[in-house]
Amino acid sequence: MKNSVYPLNSCATTVRGAAVWLAVILVLAPRAFAQTSAPAAKPSNTTPGALSHDLSGVWMPYSIHMDGIDEKARPPLTPWGQAKFDVAAPLVGPRAVAGKENNPALHCEPEAVPKSLVLPNPFEIIQIPGRMFMFFEQYHLWRTIWSDGRALPKDPDPSFLGYSVGKWEGETYVVDTIGFNDKPWVDSYGNPRSEQMHLTERYRRLDHDTLEMQIIMDDPKAYTKTWVNPPQRFKLEPTWEIGEFFCIPDEEDAYGDAVRKPAGVPVAPK
Amino acid sequence: MIFACAPMLRAQSGQTQAPAKQPPETSATTATPLSHDLSGVWMQYPDKRVDGVPIVTGIDESARPPLTPWGQSRFDAAVPFIGPRAAAGKENNPSLRCEPEAVPKSLILPNPFEIVQTPGRVFMFFEEFHLWREIWTDGRPLPKSPNPSYLGYSVGKWEGDTFVVDTIGFNDRPWVDSFGNPRSEQMHLTERYRRLDKDTLEMQILMNDPKAYQGVWTNAPRLFKLEPGWELGEFFCVLDEEDDYASRVRKPAGGAAAAPNP
Repeated sequence: MKNSVYPLNSCATTVRGAAVWLAVILVLAPRAFAQTSAPAAKPSNTTPGALSHDLSGVWMPYSIHMDGIDEKARPPLTPWGQAKFDVAAPLVGPRAVAGKENNPALHCEPEAVPKSLVLPNPFEIIQIPGRMFMFFEQYHLWRTIWSDGRALPKDPDPSFLGYSVGKWEGETYVVDTIGFNDKPWVDSYGNPRSEQMHLTERYRRLDHDTLEMQIIMDDPKAYTKTWVNPPQRFKLEPTWEIGEFFCIPDEEDAYGDAVRKPAGVPVAPK
Repeated sequence: MIFACAPMLRAQSGQTQAPAKQPPETSATTATPLSHDLSGVWMQYPDKRVDGVPIVTGIDESARPPLTPWGQSRFDAAVPFIGPRAAAGKENNPSLRCEPEAVPKSLILPNPFEIVQTPGRVFMFFEEFHLWREIWTDGRPLPKSPNPSYLGYSVGKWEGDTFVVDTIGFNDRPWVDSFGNPRSEQMHLTERYRRLDKDTLEMQILMNDPKAYQGVWTNAPRLFKLEPGWELGEFFCVLDEEDDYASRVRKPAGGAAAAPNP
């Protein structure tokens, strides 16, 4: 998908039907521009057999099915979680009703993490002393992970991205994030997150070209148990550059009016 | 007014900014040459004309060249929320609908930005609206025919003590300032940075956009102060909040009824 530019709306105007909402949303071509001069990944740990502590590079998920968050592995919802889930109207899956979607991401509210970790678009990791950055192509999002040994804050203000610290445990880079607000969904189906969520990500660079990521959500306000997901793999794309891909509310609204709503049945009066 | 929002900073007392210091040359503690390390969180100094208030004069409308006919028609259609042409309730700055302002507008906000340097690349992170950009410093030229985008494509290099950033490949959607001055796809933006001393960054903005302006728009340099204890706060543009503010504050403040298409 190098050198391809697919405006969000033009992808969808050629398709119709409820089943293709999945394809429309999931198969957003990354706007990656192949360049011959990309920064080379320099593994910092060259011991034979040891995995690299260098996670830098542009990473593309192997699968577009975004199984890094697995709804089948989701624990039962708490009453609070169930109430949130019930009012969420997704644009994919069995609860989808075209024209009634209310995912806040549809008017460009940030999805943040963990949702941005399971998109079909690439992300880039940059490491500097004491900090790691992640740049997500979809919606031009960036985040900081503090790796200078600091502790998580005691009482953070709720935010979309929370506050993240990271450290190495052997070959695994473990990121802990708290301080979330409860606005975004954690996936495309309306599963919620609360201010109590503690998100853990575990990264391993299995070889030069492969990054493994595992997402674990511990949110006792929303779920009765920890939501442990299977690891997801990413492929290194050494010549890619993250393309520009902002979420523009007026374009989202126009797309809703032109495609989503007409595809749906007439909206029943409330 | 979204452009005068207080920065949501988490100044960590007793916890210094995570050091990101890999300067290719010595810092400003040596005698004469200015540092090639621009990293840090930078906050605009208040303009001396209005004591204590950060005035965003990095782009100076009094220095603006005459508009071309294209530029004039764009300017005429723009309804700002400040200045002599403001009409409360009728503002149509696309940033009020959370469209990115990108550069150069993000360079002159009252909120801080952070510079991070890595081999081959310089990153800038803007607190307002959580924007990031990258400037390629690996010697590559500007692209020949870039697709128009909000941020364009930026390359940077050192010319002595000055870090010069060149950007092309813009789209024509954002305003370059709060007053409705336009930019076209032909804009070539130049930024010139110098770290005058450890705590002071100088930035100058030059806009060469022959489709919009008759002549290069050269602005005076502006100074920024290093804030070593600061971390950028999270500050997203959230449309529902902007709309709510508009309906509660901006539109009622206006004398006229709200325009049908804000």
